[in-house]
Amino acid sequence: MVTRAREGHIPSSFSIVDVVHHLYAKVLSYDAKNPQWPDRDFFILSKGHGCAGLYVVLEKFGFISKADLENYSQPGGILGGHPDVTCVPGVEASTGSLGHGFPTAVGLALGLRIQNRKNRVFALLGDGECNEGTIWESALVAAKQQLGNLVAIIDLNGSAAQILPVDPLVEKWKAFGWEAQEIDGHSAADLERVFSTLHLSPVGAPRAVIARTLKGKGVAMLEGHGMWHHKIPNDEELRSILKELS
Amino acid sequence: MKKLRLQFADTMLELGPHDPKLVVMVGDISHGILQPFAKACPGRYYNVGICEPTIVNMAAGISKSGLIPVVHTIAPFIIERAYEQIKLDFGYQNLPINLISVGGAFDYSQLGCSHHCYTDVSLISHFARGRIFYPGSPLEFDLLFKEAYAQNTINYFKLPEVPHGVEFQPSQIKMGKGIRVREGRDLTLVSIGTQLKNAVSASETLQSQGLSCEVLYFPTLKPFDSDLVRESVRKTKRVLVIEELSAHDGVFNLVLRATAGREGIQYEQIAIPDFVHGYGTYEDLCKRLGFCVEGILQRAKVWFP
Repeated sequence: MVTRAREGHIPSSFSIVDVVHHLYAKVLSYDAKNPQWPDRDFFILSKGHGCAGLYVVLEKFGFISKADLENYSQPGGILGGHPDVTCVPGVEASTGSLGHGFPTAVGLALGLRIQNRKNRVFALLGDGECNEGTIWESALVAAKQQLGNLVAIIDLNGSAAQILPVDPLVEKWKAFGWEAQEIDGHSAADLERVFSTLHLSPVGAPRAVIARTLKGKGVAMLEGHGMWHHKIPNDEELRSILKELS
Repeated sequence: MKKLRLQFADTMLELGPHDPKLVVMVGDISHGILQPFAKACPGRYYNVGICEPTIVNMAAGISKSGLIPVVHTIAPFIIERAYEQIKLDFGYQNLPINLISVGGAFDYSQLGCSHHCYTDVSLISHFARGRIFYPGSPLEFDLLFKEAYAQNTINYFKLPEVPHGVEFQPSQIKMGKGIRVREGRDLTLVSIGTQLKNAVSASETLQSQGLSCEVLYFPTLKPFDSDLVRESVRKTKRVLVIEELSAHDGVFNLVLRATAGREGIQYEQIAIPDFVHGYGTYEDLCKRLGFCVEGILQRAKVWFP
């Protein structure tokens, strides 16, 4: 879809797709045929540029169709280079400008608790996004308000280290009043262990899961940092990528 | 006349117990006067912190959960500093919010330009779902807020520190409607906020000099009551806009749009050309900028020397 549209952040999507898939497969409560189901859990992709990783999962679990994927970033399509809440079933926030989705998640968790609702809120942030001041402002607020119904997952794929380093993130989130732990974001066992034992409740310390990941995970050519961040593969490169993934 | 900010607190206290969706969030301002609301509506008042973009952004989550957020702090911080949050989290996402500011344009006259705000009305006007209210008396705020707060709109209430002191009947106050405060035929004075007071006083002086002055007043700036402007300038052919807003985009532009294509109309403006440097009382700065009776009379001399 990215090759056809000539648009997309492939490595940033590959680093999160294992986490996103695990959430939709085993953690979140939702009804794909009724995305606005009031009792659903909320997932907000705060690092909106990784949306290809979300779109494919939304398609797999029935929120959107294969045709939607094929129309990615095309005229008349609903899927763009950043997610749009106004037209994509299953997308809970329009993100793209970094530092917006997470504060929305904090407000959402607070709003749900005000109404004594039991929904849980999960936000997926980029480590580069953690350069944004609103992330840390919101982290302070969530801890002060004891939003125990909120989980922040930080995709620690090393992007921030290329610019303005933020690690050690576990210590930072703990210092901001969160319960924090680090996992391998590509390990099914780690994902299972951490998300099956979170036991969220409306009041309590919010939880941070630092998911150590690899940008471009799964395709050697894409892995790591550099030109592939926003690069579109040509036909030959696409064949090579698909061969390696299969 | 009661301060607008106190009326804000009173209106929240009146509405809150009856509307369980109302949630008030402040950025460490008006904390004391909102305590009655906090006590009457437990769990629905938050002095969030000194982090205005986050407060506004969080309000999007509050709104998404089905509640009605009311966010309150000083104008430059809630509008200019948090503008991207208003634009993306409410404009783009089609969510509603109520933004309540104090301090604009230069009410914090002794604190300097960091606490001034001249562009807020212009900025919110860019949203199709934007609604802009500039109530200059407590009754105006109370009625306009009750009319608008639960709509799916981006509502901005700009509360001046000094009420204009003119009493209106409740029937005169409607969203999107201006008020003809005084009828005249030689000159139209268009006023907003506190400046209504000076416009009325200046019109009385002009009357004593034999000039018939029409005074218009606009508690709502979006939607703007263009019809009222057109009706007035059809008679007077001269309009002077007095606005504590940026001279580069404000009510003057709304008046121009309202009268576009009509020939023979002459326009003048008293507004804020750039940063208002210097200190003093609100009245001191008003006098310097021409927001006073003398300033209006001086400007009217363009037409009536």
